[in-house]
Amino acid sequence: MPIDRNTVRHIAALARLKVAEAEEERYVRELQAILSYVEELQELSVEGVEPTSSVVAGSPSPLRPDEEVPCDVRDEALAAAPDRDGDYFRVPRVV
Amino acid sequence: MSAPGVDPTLETAESLARSVRERSRTASEVVRAFLDRADRTAERLGTYLHRDRDWILAAAAAVDARIARGDDPGPLAGVPVAIKDNICVHGVPTTCGSRILEGYRPPYDAHVIERLRAAGAVPFGKTNCDEFAMGSSTENSAYAITRNPWDLERVPGGSSGGSAATVAAREAPLALGSDTGGSVRQPAAFCGVMGLKPTYGAVSRYGLVAFASSLDQIGPIATTARDTALLFNAIAGADARDMTSRPEARPVPLDDLEKGVRGLRIGVPRALLAEGLDPEIRAVFDQVAAFLQKEGASSRDVALPHAKHAIATYYLIAPAEASSNLARYDGVRYGSRVPGRDLRSMYENTRGQGFGREVTRRILLGTYALSAGYYDAYYLRAQKVRTLIRRDFIEALNGTDALLLPVTPTPPFAIGEKTDDPLAMYLNDIYSIPASLAGVPALSFPAGFTKAGLPIGLQLVGKPFDEGTLLRIARAWESASDAARRVPPIAMEAAA
Repeated sequence: MPIDRNTVRHIAALARLKVAEAEEERYVRELQAILSYVEELQELSVEGVEPTSSVVAGSPSPLRPDEEVPCDVRDEALAAAPDRDGDYFRVPRVV
Repeated sequence: MSAPGVDPTLETAESLARSVRERSRTASEVVRAFLDRADRTAERLGTYLHRDRDWILAAAAAVDARIARGDDPGPLAGVPVAIKDNICVHGVPTTCGSRILEGYRPPYDAHVIERLRAAGAVPFGKTNCDEFAMGSSTENSAYAITRNPWDLERVPGGSSGGSAATVAAREAPLALGSDTGGSVRQPAAFCGVMGLKPTYGAVSRYGLVAFASSLDQIGPIATTARDTALLFNAIAGADARDMTSRPEARPVPLDDLEKGVRGLRIGVPRALLAEGLDPEIRAVFDQVAAFLQKEGASSRDVALPHAKHAIATYYLIAPAEASSNLARYDGVRYGSRVPGRDLRSMYENTRGQGFGREVTRRILLGTYALSAGYYDAYYLRAQKVRTLIRRDFIEALNGTDALLLPVTPTPPFAIGEKTDDPLAMYLNDIYSIPASLAGVPALSFPAGFTKAGLPIGLQLVGKPFDEGTLLRIARAWESASDAARRVPPIAMEAAA
C-alpha cells in the first residue's frame, strides 16, 4: 500500500500525536520503506495457521487469591502529575 | 581470590558476594569502590542517566545492617546491580531515555528490584537506553550517547547499551537490561559481556515499562556464566502481578554449569549463516562449533525455514503493541505536559514533542498496522507467521539441546553510521529477533574478538525454561577461551 502525507496525518491523528509539517515527508519515506520490506509476509501461505498473540496463551495462568492488599501510593502517584487539583489530576477543559 | 583492601572492581559478583557474606568486606566498601570506579569513566562512556551516591550508599548500609543483625544477607550480598532506565525503582528517576518521562519518579519498585533487595544486592544507577527500549545502538536516547568501552567511536549496541557498557567497563559487576527483540543480547555481544534473554514468562515484567508486552523480558548482564546465573536466579520466578509470569521458571544450580558439554546435541542452522555474516564472526562461529565437538558435544543441522521472515514479523507486531502501550503517555498522570487549546491538542502537543523520532515512527507504524482495513493484512498475518517461526524452533529443539547462532551479522558499527536509515538498523537484528518471537531462552556470550580488537558474541538458544543448559555451554567455552577474560583498556586504566 503506497502511503502519502495524508496517510501520515491520518495515523498521527489516530495516535494523538502531532507530527510537524516539515517532518511529514520524512515519515512517508521511512514508513514506505518499512512497509515495502514487510510485504514479504504476503507471499507466505498462512492458510489454517493460528495466530500467536502470546507464547504463554495456551497455558492457564495461575490465579492469585482474591484478597485485598494495601496499595497506599496515592500521594506519591499524584505528586508525579504535571497538574493537579487536590486529590485529582487536572486536565484542560473538556466540555 | 581476593584479599580485603584489594580493588574489588575486577572481581566477579560471586566473589564479591562471598567476601561480604564472609565479612571480609562490608557491602559499603564494595559499593563505594564501584561508585568511585564509575566516577572515573561513566561521563566519558555515557553509561548512566542517574547515579545518586548517597542513595546507593544508603542501600549498601542497609545490607550491612542486616549482616550486623546476624541475618542472612542473601546470595548477592553487597553486589551493585546497574538498572536499565526502563525498570521502576521507588523514588528514583525513571525516564526510559525519553523526554516524555522527564522527572518521573515511580511510587513503587519493580518485581525484579524487590527480588534484588531480598537477595542482598544494591540497585546501582539507572543506565542509558534507547528511548522506550526502541533501538539497536542506544543512539535513540533523548539524553546521552553511550560509547562502546572497546572503541569509543562505536556504539555499544542497544537498547540496553548503558547496561552492557557499564558491565564491560567494570563500573558495575552486574546489570539488568530488557530484551524485546535482542536488546540484552546484542549490546552484550557488542560490549564483550554475557547477556541472557530468559524464556518468556521466566521473569515478572511488573515494573518494567511496557514496550511490546508479548515479547518483553528482563534479562541479566554479567561478565561470566556463573554471575549471569546468579543474577538470573535472583530475579526469576512467578509473580501474581504479571499474569504472563510462569511457575515453571526455575533457578540454575551453579554446580550444573561445571558439567561440560559431553553428550549435548548442538543444532546449527547452516542456511542462516550463508548470507551477510561478517567473515570474522563466521570464523569464530566455526571455532566455537569445533571446540564443542572436540569436548564431546554432537552437532546437527537444523532448519529454521521461517526465521528469515522474523524481522518483517517483528516490525509489525512490536510497533503495534507499542502504539497501544505508549498511549498512556498523555501528559495527564506523569511526565511532561505541553499545553494546548483543548484536551486533544494537549495530548497531541505533549506526545508530538515528548517522543523522539524512532518512537514516533514506531507508533505511527503500529497505528497503521492496527488501523481499520489493515489489521488482517498486517498485524494478524504477522501473528500467524509468528506461529510458524515458533514451530520451527520447537521442532529444531526437539532433537537438540541448544542451537548455536550468531548474535549480530557484524561487529559493533560506528556512532552515526545507521541513524539515517531505520531499515538498515532493523536488519541488524536478524539473528536475535527469531528467539524473541518464539519465546525461548537465548544467551549471548563472549566468543572472540576481531583483528581490530572488537568483541564478537555468539548466541545459544534453548528449550523453554532451560536457561541452565545455555549457561553450561557458555561456561565450557569461557573456561577454554580468553574472550571472556579480556577487559577493555578504559577499564584497566581506571582500575585502582
